[in-house]
Amino acid sequence: MKKGLVTILVLVLVALALFGWVKNAYNSLVKSDETVQAAWAQVENVYQRRADLIPNLVATVKGYAEHESSTLQAVIDARAKATQVTVDASDLTDEQIAKYQAAQGELSQALGRLIAVSEAYPDLKANENFKDLQAQLEGTENRITVERQKFNETAQAYNTEIRTFPTNIIAGLFNFDKKGYFKAAEGAEVAPKVEF
Amino acid sequence: MTVKIKGLLLSLLLAVGFLLPARAIPSRPQPQRLVNDLAGLFTAAQAGHLERMLVAFDDSTSNQIAVVTVTDLEGYTPAEYAVRIGLDWGVGSADFNNGIVVLVKPKESGGSGQVSIQVGYGLEGAIPDVYAKRIIDSQMIPHFRSGDYYGGVQAACEILMAYASGEISQERDRSDDEMDDVVAFLILFFLVMLVFLYLSSKNKGGGNNHSGGGGGGRYIYIGPIGRGSVFTGGSSWGGGGGFGGGGFGGFGGGSFGGGGASGSW
Repeated sequence: MKKGLVTILVLVLVALALFGWVKNAYNSLVKSDETVQAAWAQVENVYQRRADLIPNLVATVKGYAEHESSTLQAVIDARAKATQVTVDASDLTDEQIAKYQAAQGELSQALGRLIAVSEAYPDLKANENFKDLQAQLEGTENRITVERQKFNETAQAYNTEIRTFPTNIIAGLFNFDKKGYFKAAEGAEVAPKVEF
Repeated sequence: MTVKIKGLLLSLLLAVGFLLPARAIPSRPQPQRLVNDLAGLFTAAQAGHLERMLVAFDDSTSNQIAVVTVTDLEGYTPAEYAVRIGLDWGVGSADFNNGIVVLVKPKESGGSGQVSIQVGYGLEGAIPDVYAKRIIDSQMIPHFRSGDYYGGVQAACEILMAYASGEISQERDRSDDEMDDVVAFLILFFLVMLVFLYLSSKNKGGGNNHSGGGGGGRYIYIGPIGRGSVFTGGSSWGGGGGFGGGGFGGFGGGSFGGGGASGSW
C-alpha cells in the first residue's frame, strides 16, 4: 500500500518535471520563432520603403533624362516584379528567401544602372528633389543591409536552438523547421553605389 | 569573365564579413564616454567641451550622441561601421532607441575622408536621412575640408541636438539611483554604528580595554572605505560639471536600423 503510494508520487513528479521541461522548451522555441518573424517583417519593411521611393525617383529622372526611357522602364519592371514576390513569414525556407532575394536583387541592379546613367545629367544632379531622393535611397539601402544582417543573426540563433540537444526533440515533435538565410550573392547583392 | 571573378571575390569577401561580424570594431570605451577621439583630431580642451555638451544633452533629454573618430574603417562602409558601433555599444536608451553615432574618418594624403551620421530607430522621424545628409554636406564637410574637424563635429552636434530634442525630451530620471545610494549609505552607516556600539559596550563589560579598542578601531576604519565607494557611485550619476567625461551615466542599449546618411570629401 505504502509502496504503491510512493510509486505514484514518483510518477507524478516525473510527469510534472517532463511537462515543465516540454513547456519551457516549446515556449522558448515559439519566442525565437516570433523573433525571426519580426526580423523578417523588418526586412520586408525596408524593401517596401525602397519600392515606395522608386515612383518619385523615376518621375524626377524622367523630367531630365528622356533618352533613358529603357533604363527607366527596366526599373519600373523590376519594381513591379519585386513587389509581387512575397514570402509567408511562417515559411521562411532557404528557397523562399532566395527567390525573394533574387527579385529584389534585380531591382537593385536596375536602380544601380539608373543612378549610373543619371551621372551624365548635371541639371538632374543639381536638382534638390533628386538629391533628397538619393539621400533617402542611400539610407534605405543601408537599412536593407542592416535588417538583413539582423535577420540572419536571429535566424542563426533560432537554427542553433532547434538543433541543440535536447530541444531538438521538441523542435522535431512540433515541426519547428530550419529558417533560411540571406546569402551574399554574386554581384546582385551589392547595393547600388550612390556617391557624389 | 573578370567581372565574374570580381563578383565571386566580392561575394567571398561578403561571406567572410558575415562570418566575422565583429571585425575590429573598437570595443565600448571604459570608462564610458560620448566623445571617442580615436584618431586624435581634437585637442583635450575641445574633446572635453564636446563631451560636456553631449553629457548635458543626455542628462536633459536622454538622447545620446556618440562621436567617434577613427583612422581606418577596416573595410566597412562608414555607415556599416557607425551602425556596428551603435549596436555594439548600445548608444541611446533601450526604451527609446534614441542614439546617434557621428563617425569621422579624417582625410589622409591619397585617401578620402569619410563621415557618417547614423540615427537610432527612435529618432528616424526627427532626423530623416535627408536632414542628416544636409548636415553632412552643408556643415561637416566644408569645415572638414579646411581641416577644422572640431568645428564641423560641433556644428553637426548642435543641429542634431535641436532636431532630436524636438522628438524625445525626457529628463534623465536619476533620483531613483541617488535614492538607492543614499539608502545604501544609511544602511551601511547604521551597520557600522551598530557594530561599533556593540563592541564598545562589550569593552565596557569585559574590561579588556586594549584588544577591544583595537577591534573598534578596525571597524571604524572600514566605515570610510564603504562610504567612499558609495560616494563614487553617487558622483558618476551627478552630472553637472563632470570633468573629462566624469558625468556620463553610460550607454543604454539602444538599437539602430541603418537610418541616417554618409558622405565623403
